[in-house]
Amino acid sequence: MDRGMIALKFAMLRNAMPGLRAVGWAVGGVLVLATWAAALLVRDDGVRRSVLTLLAAVWTVGGMLGPVLTSGAGVLRADYFTLLPLRRRAVGRALLVSTFVSIASGFVLLALLAGTVHAAGRGAGAVAVAVVGALLGWVLVVVLSRLVYGLLGAAMQSKLGIEIAGVQFGIMFAAMFAGWMIVSVAMQSVPVLLRDGLPAGPVTTVLEALPSSWPLLAVDAAAAGDAGGALARLGALALLDAVLLVVTVALLVPRSARVARRRGRPRSRGLVAGGGLLPATQTGAVVLKEVRQWRRDPWRALESSTALWTGVVIGVLAMLDPGIRPVAAFAGLVVAFVLGLSGCNLYGQDGSAVWQNVVGEDATSVRSDVRGRQWAMVLVFAPRVLGVSVLFLVLSGAWWTVPYVAGAVPAVLGAATGAAVLTSAVGVSPGVDPRRRVGPNDANGNIALHVWVAMVATLLGAAPTGAAVVYAATTGSTAAAVLVAVVGVLNGWAAAWLLGTLATGYLRTRMVDVFSRIRYEQVFRDGEDAGLLDWIARTTLRGETRAKELKQQERDKRLARARSAA
Amino acid sequence: MTHQETAPVPALELRGLRRTFGDKVAVDDMDLAVPAGSFYGVVGPNGAGKTTALSMAVGLLRPSAGQALVQGVDVWADPVEAKRRLGVLPDGLALPERLTGGELLTFWGRFRGMPRDVVAARTAELLRVLELEEAEQLGTLVGEYSTGMRKKIGLATALLHTPRVLVLDEPYEAVDPVSARVLTRILRRFTASGGSVVVSSHVMALVEQLCDRVAIVVRGRVMAVGTLDEVRAGASLEDRFVDLVGAPDVAEEELAWIAG
Repeated sequence: MDRGMIALKFAMLRNAMPGLRAVGWAVGGVLVLATWAAALLVRDDGVRRSVLTLLAAVWTVGGMLGPVLTSGAGVLRADYFTLLPLRRRAVGRALLVSTFVSIASGFVLLALLAGTVHAAGRGAGAVAVAVVGALLGWVLVVVLSRLVYGLLGAAMQSKLGIEIAGVQFGIMFAAMFAGWMIVSVAMQSVPVLLRDGLPAGPVTTVLEALPSSWPLLAVDAAAAGDAGGALARLGALALLDAVLLVVTVALLVPRSARVARRRGRPRSRGLVAGGGLLPATQTGAVVLKEVRQWRRDPWRALESSTALWTGVVIGVLAMLDPGIRPVAAFAGLVVAFVLGLSGCNLYGQDGSAVWQNVVGEDATSVRSDVRGRQWAMVLVFAPRVLGVSVLFLVLSGAWWTVPYVAGAVPAVLGAATGAAVLTSAVGVSPGVDPRRRVGPNDANGNIALHVWVAMVATLLGAAPTGAAVVYAATTGSTAAAVLVAVVGVLNGWAAAWLLGTLATGYLRTRMVDVFSRIRYEQVFRDGEDAGLLDWIARTTLRGETRAKELKQQERDKRLARARSAA
Repeated sequence: MTHQETAPVPALELRGLRRTFGDKVAVDDMDLAVPAGSFYGVVGPNGAGKTTALSMAVGLLRPSAGQALVQGVDVWADPVEAKRRLGVLPDGLALPERLTGGELLTFWGRFRGMPRDVVAARTAELLRVLELEEAEQLGTLVGEYSTGMRKKIGLATALLHTPRVLVLDEPYEAVDPVSARVLTRILRRFTASGGSVVVSSHVMALVEQLCDRVAIVVRGRVMAVGTLDEVRAGASLEDRFVDLVGAPDVAEEELAWIAG
């Protein structure tokens, strides 16, 4: 059965996105090479030990977090097998075994074998210890990765899982926006690390206590002739592996009944139907619904947590480089900016639920819907933007930036809500329909163009404030800095109003077409052209269709291969 | 059952309604008139075009040609007025999945511009009558509802703003027998007060029991239409339906292994 399950997993992975997998392999390969390069480049044993223990810890943490983003570990799920006449423990064991057979797990093993470099030339015993240690370390990483994935409840079913996925996306976005910062930090710190190792102190103590470091400590013990010490460390690691194996198999055993999750607080009838702080108007109704969706829908929550973490990561990167430390004070601005991208596909994310907007149409419904969505975004994101801004202002101590931040934040926040709702209206990209969503990427279809449209619209919308910032920075007067804050607030309001009004005007006659794009994947409408907006609409729809065609071609090719093989 | 043959304006009227998807004709110049106060059943095999026709009738899908009128108001020319009179229960579409039933009704009532206290009272009453109160107490989200519960909350959203014409796509699917009786009682009271109900279904027994008028739709066309008795013409509705649709025979030797 183990072999059957491995074959099933690879079959399912073949049917997933081939392009993305190739990228994953390339990145993994580069990381393995980097690990070996680090091991080979460092001459000093002590420094190498410190570098390798750090890298082993990074691989372990990466192994624990990786599966949440990539689908490898989650491909096979215990509940697929609940109805088959198999012993439950056998299913659990087979699921775990299948985790070991994967490209990613191969990369981990290759990387950890870099420990042999540390043993080379220090006796056959040390090399043997290094190989055994690498294998035990490999088991540790792979089992941990499956265990963490299982505990997170397939990532999207728990708050913690969403937050972790948010951190990952945040790092990814931050790398895209501010790759130069990462390069700059790496340029400064990697050579130092390779030359001097980690500074002695609590970091090193904690690092060496981690199980991922035990194989390297064992190698050092063996090289120093302390066979007992080497064996004790390997034994401890083997014991830990065994315990984790038992726990993980138990976790992977399929359970027949899903544990029902209920939100704890029973709701009073008064609260449900009558209460609430928001006005009982059409717009108020949309605001309340949207805020609840942002808070309760894991996919929306992922969007907002991604925005938060992108800001935090960029802030941290800026803090690491003393030359650009004041930039960190603008981390909140990044959160506001990413909001434009997080909300750039609201109607697509609602999926076929958009029928309510069509059926409930009246003279003001479209306007209320657009404005309600904008207000909800402000309510959800403003506290995060403020929190991150204040945090990094305090950390960076760059108090002179306060008027600039106070001006830029409302400008970008306003422009971003407008850009988001306008892009949502024009480029509807439905993913998997809400009830069938599983993976973190299921909520959107193809939003490659949407992201650009939203970014450009946000930048254009906040441009006046940008100009004011430049002016104030060149004059350097206090009055000009205060002016920036005033301009920013007015600019944000105006941009949100203008872009929202554009969205309302566009949607007034096209709400049914939004629904058509979701339900029928085409628009039944001829004539009339709203210029740029309709061009974007047509292009995003083509992108959507193109992505579907590619998938279909892939499927056809596979079918043809299967036929010719048979 | 009341039906007012004399009423000049039909509750719902389709005139030459047509929808093509590429080369495929999903709805083929369909004409249909639902008299005011009637309980109207649209039956047909899977893929006959029932849902497509009803989607065009309620403004969810642009027709290739033809008209749809609600109490004489053109759905595509004067959508706001037509939609005010319509209550719609679509089949298989999402709702705001992360709201509880009560939150959904509250949102929907306010979105349709109803006063706060009316929304509150009707929400509470609908939840109680449709037996969704317990789920509400537990804070169950619509996304966690069973299929039958979704139908019930969907019906509640369709009823909330007191429409005059209800268009319900497969309203009884996956609804348990007890809830089905409640549903039937609600819908009968609705027609008794002059409202009109159009349901689509492929469960013949149900339609026979509920509806006073029936249209049989096959391949996008209306094959038979009239009062229940006119359409079944002495036989059962199912026999008439199978006659019109045509059923493939299962030969003696096919699937013989099932018995073993």
